[in-house]
Amino acid sequence: MTEDVRYARFMERIERGEKIEATDWMPDEYRHLLIKLIHMHAVSEIMGAYPEKEWVPKAPTLRRKLAIMAKVQDEMGHGQLLLRVAEDLAAPLGKTREDLVEDVYKSRVKFHNVFHMEAKTWADAGVIGWLVDGAAIINQAALLETSYAPYARVLKRICAEESFHMQHGENIILALAMGTEEQKQMLQDALNYWWESLLFFFGPKEVTPAAERMLHYRIRTKTNEELRQKFLDKYVPRIWSIGLTIPDPHLRYDEEKKEWVYTEPDWEKFGRIVRYNEGPKSKERMELRRTAHEGQRWVREAMIRSRMATAAV
Amino acid sequence: MEEKQTEYSIFEVFIQRTQAEHHVHVGSLVAPSPDVAIQTARENFLRREKAVNIWVVPRDQITATPYEPDFFTREMDRKYREVAGYTENGRLWRMFKEKAITLEEIVAYVEGRKARERKKQA
Repeated sequence: MTEDVRYARFMERIERGEKIEATDWMPDEYRHLLIKLIHMHAVSEIMGAYPEKEWVPKAPTLRRKLAIMAKVQDEMGHGQLLLRVAEDLAAPLGKTREDLVEDVYKSRVKFHNVFHMEAKTWADAGVIGWLVDGAAIINQAALLETSYAPYARVLKRICAEESFHMQHGENIILALAMGTEEQKQMLQDALNYWWESLLFFFGPKEVTPAAERMLHYRIRTKTNEELRQKFLDKYVPRIWSIGLTIPDPHLRYDEEKKEWVYTEPDWEKFGRIVRYNEGPKSKERMELRRTAHEGQRWVREAMIRSRMATAAV
Repeated sequence: MEEKQTEYSIFEVFIQRTQAEHHVHVGSLVAPSPDVAIQTARENFLRREKAVNIWVVPRDQITATPYEPDFFTREMDRKYREVAGYTENGRLWRMFKEKAITLEEIVAYVEGRKARERKKQA
């Protein structure tokens, strides 16, 4: 079978809505797009646990501490499930778990802009749980239809756990919204700090060439702007309902066009944060990732050695 | 064994939710040994859900079919193997002034009677 025929057969499968498995033949472009997307997703789950992990020792009550700890553990678990999917795709290219993890602190893979930002107050931790997770859930729910079966299966499990994260974040926010003037102000400050990052999170408005290819292969089926609009649909009314002001004087719903009009985030600034790890917390969190991974290398090696010693007996 | 292994091995994970069910494949993980794989499986797949048993199987020990519809298609009509192949029974029973009966009805009947008997004995 020539490469052209294989490609045509593959595209017929995609267009029929069939799912692709790790062991199926796939075009190199499809494989590379998937690795890039899933690797970034995996790493973002892990780096996404950092801003919340910083609040584990400082959570206001024991129950809040246990809950945020459970969430941090979930995010790490999601990272592991996703790394497995990325590893199977990257195996033919000779890449392993070690490589995929090292890529984070060697700046060879990007992670979501929001996880470069600082969680200064408990309200920041709450907004991360409510809105950052809310945005992530919209993204992931849209990916459930992806043409790559192993990714779809893992996303199904992840989304089931995200439903807890959603309630968890909302609960923190609602408590603050019903709290003292100081707490309400803290919540408003947190929203002001995160708003622009949240809009940026969904990516550029225009369909980039890479995004176009992902739509072509049905790796994803919705554009960045469609997802951003869905996020605004779901969350703007709720943000208003608890008495918060969204820091965008131009934000409004255009009844005729049936879409939200908003001030665009500073694409240049956040683009640099993601590309060059220039966010307020990028370097510190990457360093922590490096020490965790490098520092425990001897443990991993010792465990493998001990297994091989037993096998040899 | 001179070759130095530096990577963990891949294990496929199977979870049995209750003893009334079979183990079901839920995903995979990497671990240095089967016992660490069991621990990681519990952390990765059972943070909330309940289970009674976990299997971890080194991936290279699994033999699988390819994803080819040919292997799973059958030439003949296999309705004779299935309940759906016997829909005429209802009509036939009516000719004898009787009703068709399903396995589910029998199971429910049997379990109900047993439950009553246990109650009587107690």
